[in-house]
Amino acid sequence: MLNRTISPEIPKPEKISIPEPEITTLENGIPLFKVNLGTQDVIKVELVFDAGINYSTAPLIANATNDMLDEGSGIYSSAQIAEMLDMYGAYFQTDCGNDFASVTLYSLSKFIDQTLPIFNTIVSEPNFDKNEISTFAIQGKQRLAVSLNKVDFLARRNFLNSIYGENTIVGKMVKAEHYDALNHDTLSNFYNDRYKKGLKAVVVAGKFTNENIESIKSLIKSLGFSKNDSTNINSEIILNPEKIYITKKDSVQSAIRIGKKMFNRKHPDYFSFSILNTVLGGYFGSRLMSNIREDKGYTYGIGSGLATNLKDGYFFISTEVGSDVCKDAIKEIYFETERLRNEKIPTDELRLVKNYLFGAFQRSIDGPFALADRQKSLYLNSLTNSHLEQYLTILAEITPEKLLECAQKHLDQSLFTEVVVGP
Amino acid sequence: MLHYEKFTLENGLTVIVHEDKSTPLVALNILYKVGARDEDPDKTGFAHLFEHLMFGGSINIPNYDEPLQLAGGENNAFTNNDITNYYLTIPATNLETAFWLESDRMLSLAFTEKSLEVQRNVVIEEFKQRYLNQPYGDVWLKLRPLAYKVHPYQWATIGKVTEHIEEATLDYVKAFFKKWYAPNNAVMTIAGNCSLERAKELCNKWFTPIPAVNVPVRDLPKEPVQTEMRELNVSNDVPTDHIYLAFHCCSRYDSDFYATDLLSDVLSRGKSSRMYQKLVKEQKLFTDIGAYMMGELDESLFVVEGKLVNGISIESAENAIFDILETAKTDVSETELLKVKNKALASLVFSEMSIGNKALNLAYFEMLGNADMANQQENLYNSVSSDQIKAIAKRILVKSNCSILRYQAKQHA
Repeated sequence: MLNRTISPEIPKPEKISIPEPEITTLENGIPLFKVNLGTQDVIKVELVFDAGINYSTAPLIANATNDMLDEGSGIYSSAQIAEMLDMYGAYFQTDCGNDFASVTLYSLSKFIDQTLPIFNTIVSEPNFDKNEISTFAIQGKQRLAVSLNKVDFLARRNFLNSIYGENTIVGKMVKAEHYDALNHDTLSNFYNDRYKKGLKAVVVAGKFTNENIESIKSLIKSLGFSKNDSTNINSEIILNPEKIYITKKDSVQSAIRIGKKMFNRKHPDYFSFSILNTVLGGYFGSRLMSNIREDKGYTYGIGSGLATNLKDGYFFISTEVGSDVCKDAIKEIYFETERLRNEKIPTDELRLVKNYLFGAFQRSIDGPFALADRQKSLYLNSLTNSHLEQYLTILAEITPEKLLECAQKHLDQSLFTEVVVGP
Repeated sequence: MLHYEKFTLENGLTVIVHEDKSTPLVALNILYKVGARDEDPDKTGFAHLFEHLMFGGSINIPNYDEPLQLAGGENNAFTNNDITNYYLTIPATNLETAFWLESDRMLSLAFTEKSLEVQRNVVIEEFKQRYLNQPYGDVWLKLRPLAYKVHPYQWATIGKVTEHIEEATLDYVKAFFKKWYAPNNAVMTIAGNCSLERAKELCNKWFTPIPAVNVPVRDLPKEPVQTEMRELNVSNDVPTDHIYLAFHCCSRYDSDFYATDLLSDVLSRGKSSRMYQKLVKEQKLFTDIGAYMMGELDESLFVVEGKLVNGISIESAENAIFDILETAKTDVSETELLKVKNKALASLVFSEMSIGNKALNLAYFEMLGNADMANQQENLYNSVSSDQIKAIAKRILVKSNCSILRYQAKQHA
């Protein structure tokens, strides 16, 4: 008779082998990452530039430059570019982070010879046409107007504004007038400075042939873009904890965001803090979820995270809770951060978190796109596979004592900024 | 091309195995053939609430998530109007833990008052977060009852009102489980690093002992043919006007599904589409506009939704939409057709990038009739002609078949 009350045995996680990246260095010193894997006949080509938000002199310049690349290039109008890409079922995607911006082509492998030249045009000869910028601004302003009615959006932007400050580009709050200020020259100048002189890496993932790689190499060569050298050194972290309450009348939920500025991935406490964060709010079974959702039912979801940039990072807890239980929810959040500073994590719980994180790590390198993203991210942070090996070692060996110490050092609630948006 | 093996257990559970040795992981997907359409009109939102309760402990295992996380697994679930789907990925070495957990909750739940109490609150907070506390969040709560007068698609998966969720009782929870959660009302897919033999062995051990039950034959009221345009004007505290048009169209089972789907693509797929180029770029009436079909299992909806540029009158925006819809009745060029077919092909190929999606696709098509349909989709889209698309446009894109929701910004003095 089958005994259903007993769990099948769970062995210690197997040693995870991390594939070494396959890198070719192109003439101008730019690395080309290749991940030739998977079952699907698709190719992803991504170009990463030193063109993130941090390099903007005013809000939106970096984002708009990135976003407008495919809105007309060379002799082709925005409509023609879209038509050519759509004809081959290709997708063109842009992304703009704080440090880096990227452009990506997703193509069926069988059409890559047709889609690469279009990609080339988009990247090399953007027009930044006045009319297209005006459409972008109209769309952006209306999206912003909608977002300003969302409690979570308001909480996020006020939180970043508080921890980074109004004088930084990341901390400055975007307003409608910033859309109106965008023009051809600003975008074009940003493009010339940060794209033409800032190609950082090329990533190719999916199923491709040597011929495909040769085509991509000659594309990069024809662009003639140069490489930039950015580094990540931890900047000094100045904390300025504040309590901010923003009224959004009639809202049935309140958004809460609590956290502070932190270090980047190179800090010696990075791994232990990441593991600690998982215990607190980094997975479904986390303490915040167990307490505030699964025990009290105050929210649909609550989580915490550590976001990192080249120079620093920030830690945050975020949730939307019933407005009537907002105070109780905040009390429980601090109860959980304090508990981590006062009591060692029980060994059973730590074992669970470790096993969960080993599984999560395997998922994060499964498949060509996921693996390519991992390798790219390491390179952009001037790290190598040994960083991941080190993580796996620390994950296997970390003790409750070490995590207690880490919590005492980094989860002091008197240093947190607290933002609440509600009725 | 997805290769797979299929077998059925004595209790009626259909199992599909897609082996992929290149990954150290396995995805396990269990699709239960029950959704919001199976709810009583005065107990809506229940299928979805029930999905939450499936994580509140089963008959022999007090907690679902803990052991799964201990085994390095990650899971989630979704409910829509037709189905409830549970999926997880786990390192292959711990696959048996997933079988242990999933089979026990198929066998029976713990049914505790505490779990019901908490999940009622969680779901009400979800209702608030996604539908009440967001600008335009309640669109579907208004559009569905406008378009459907009889069929249960008239309510959204989250339910009509939070009161229905507040009133859910443990007895009703038990009855719902008994009625629908059975091996013979489910499809299970195992995709990833698991051989057919191992899958069979684990299935026999954990799932075969679960008894089959008599699953009711679904007998839902058929929505009568709509004969005149329906309109609803809403004025709310939102920054700009939106407009929603819902036309009745075929079900996912219908052979017209593919042509109808391509019709929506001709109109609005990608930045080169008619709607985007004409209405967003040239006429600057909308900041965004899209057309799509819901693809539900009973007769479904073809929806157009547009976000108006501030200052544009809703009448002129509406007229412009009808003008564009008109063009699809007489003109779908071969180039345009080839373009939307290529787009559809790309979507299919990209939809199978992960083992999780492969597992879901196979389960979904098996539920539709045969897992092999996953491999026939490209041909089915390719066989659509421009005449078919035009004919469908003529049939469905007419005012008497349309429900319009005009969602307008409240005028402030």
